[in-house]
Amino acid sequence: MSFLVVMVKEIVDNLRDRQTLFYALLFGPVLLPLILGGSLVASFKQLSIDFDEVSTLSVVNASSAPNLVDFLYSNNIDVVDAPDDIDQSVRYGDTLVVLEIPEDFSEALRNASPAPLTLHVNSADKKSSKASRRVRTILNVYEQTINSLRLQHRGIDPATFNALQVIENDVSSEGANGQLLASILPFLFIMSMVMGGYYLAIDTTAGERERQSLEPLLSLPLSRAAIVFGKYGATLAFVTLSSLLTAISVYTLFRVFPIELLNGQIRFDGATVTRAFLLASPLLFFISALLITVSAITRSTKEAQTYLGLMMIIPMAPFFVLQFLTVRSTSATMPYPMLSQYQLLESAVLGNKIPWHHIALSATGTLLGTALLLALASWLYRRERILS
Amino acid sequence: MIVANDLRKCFKRPGVRKSAKNSDIVAVDNVSFTADDGSITGLLGPNGAGKSTTLRMLATLVSPDSGTATIDGADVSGDVLAVRKQLGFMPHNAGIYPRLSARENIHYYARLCGLGKQQAQERVGQLIEQLDMKGFADRRAAGFSQGQKTKVALGRALVHRPQTIMLDEPTNGLDVMATRGLREIIRQLAGDGHCILFSSHIMQEVAALCDHIAIISAGRIAMEDTLQGILTRTDQTDLEDAFVQATGSATTEQDV
Repeated sequence: MSFLVVMVKEIVDNLRDRQTLFYALLFGPVLLPLILGGSLVASFKQLSIDFDEVSTLSVVNASSAPNLVDFLYSNNIDVVDAPDDIDQSVRYGDTLVVLEIPEDFSEALRNASPAPLTLHVNSADKKSSKASRRVRTILNVYEQTINSLRLQHRGIDPATFNALQVIENDVSSEGANGQLLASILPFLFIMSMVMGGYYLAIDTTAGERERQSLEPLLSLPLSRAAIVFGKYGATLAFVTLSSLLTAISVYTLFRVFPIELLNGQIRFDGATVTRAFLLASPLLFFISALLITVSAITRSTKEAQTYLGLMMIIPMAPFFVLQFLTVRSTSATMPYPMLSQYQLLESAVLGNKIPWHHIALSATGTLLGTALLLALASWLYRRERILS
Repeated sequence: MIVANDLRKCFKRPGVRKSAKNSDIVAVDNVSFTADDGSITGLLGPNGAGKSTTLRMLATLVSPDSGTATIDGADVSGDVLAVRKQLGFMPHNAGIYPRLSARENIHYYARLCGLGKQQAQERVGQLIEQLDMKGFADRRAAGFSQGQKTKVALGRALVHRPQTIMLDEPTNGLDVMATRGLREIIRQLAGDGHCILFSSHIMQEVAALCDHIAIISAGRIAMEDTLQGILTRTDQTDLEDAFVQATGSATTEQDV
């Protein structure tokens, strides 16, 4: 059981290394979800309009449109007086939007000619745009109500003017927007796995060569396989720990800041996160093997950092590619490590049903890739060149 | 006991195609020598003479292109694990783990050599005593002096009680006192009946310590004898002069 001795030593040794700990326990599992998930939560809160929330609206000349003011009031908007310099105030964000009602507003309404209204908005400011969208939505409803009343008054069914009634039947359970949101979870999982094992893999392989501690180690009476598997086991332990912590922090983040994504279609609840973790678990083995194999090829830690830095593109690739291309989850895409986990995890987050044979294919393909990588790593360690 | 017969090893010249002429560098060329139990054998040669490559072949880290060698009867190209069990090898850089303490460094090797937890602890305790490491045994190795590092590395090499011990330039970077201490330990080990092979490029050191000397130059053994034998054969009174004489003849031989 020499491989256990190697594994325990590498774990203890790296638990004493701040860099390894930072990347494995803090960067991947805490900072990344906070940055990505946090900005998602924040932008969502910024974009979504809460019509039940009472807010104020600056109106110029409110007295000339009492009905409109009443209507706004019934839609949770309190009318207040507008500032003197409207443009200035809106531009500098002192007032979000200003509704200007001209003197001839009520007269135009009475004459059934288009009644002018001016909405002052700063479209560069997200808060101002959001406020203006809310006001416009309410004004649209007000306009439709007046239109209907006018038509009925003239004995015309308002429905006459609805020549078309288009019903959109969206059969996809994932909108384009939803896919981006849903792919955040696989992205976080895979990144945390890579970050979790990154420094440990470098330290135990390329680092060992650089420190010149590999030569005495290889001259001991134990098989090279024991050394490779010991280092693999230690990397796997860190990778697993890192992704488990990620699962916990994603769950906690969306628990503390519950947001409704796509009418509740996207979920980050306990069951979903657990399911996603289990679906991603074959990747733990694959990514650990990839990390130690790549760093076994390199001669120094610097070289290993360069190679593995480039390798970071691999886990990110499906995230970006899947934004542009619609690659459907089929049996053909399932054997590919990373790609299949992206698709499976997206489906899990979107609450789609996942066929059992997809799960089996994904796990088989990923574990097969792992076996190949480990064979390659063992071969690399048997070469004489590992010492040069 | 070490017996080396016609060991030869070539390396590919970096950046040269395999098919090209002179694509290989001959690092070790037909090296033969013996090192007996209970005596200290010095492998003396300048930098790049092939000392480390020879030791690496004996330690089963690289395999010879031709020739054979046995360590206590076990063939380095055949029964690799048997060789490693007999052999304690200390490469020329201590190569210890900076985040582990001296004790943990040696304990790790003890466990890897198959000692149980209890046994390993006892053995590490003995070595700390024997090599006088009590003062720094439980400190992390990151701040160790070269002498302390060498002691830890030596402790690791001795942990599985090997009969044959190979030390590659062990006194590199050691101060006078540390060197004297190390010599004392090496003499003691030889006195206990171990076979010691010791490589160095420092004449005085080899002269002061070794019972038997093999002079290696440009990958070949130029001369192999006792110190007295070498001085007599080269008709010199000083090992340094004898070394120049011996390697000078080696170069002439090669040129012819």
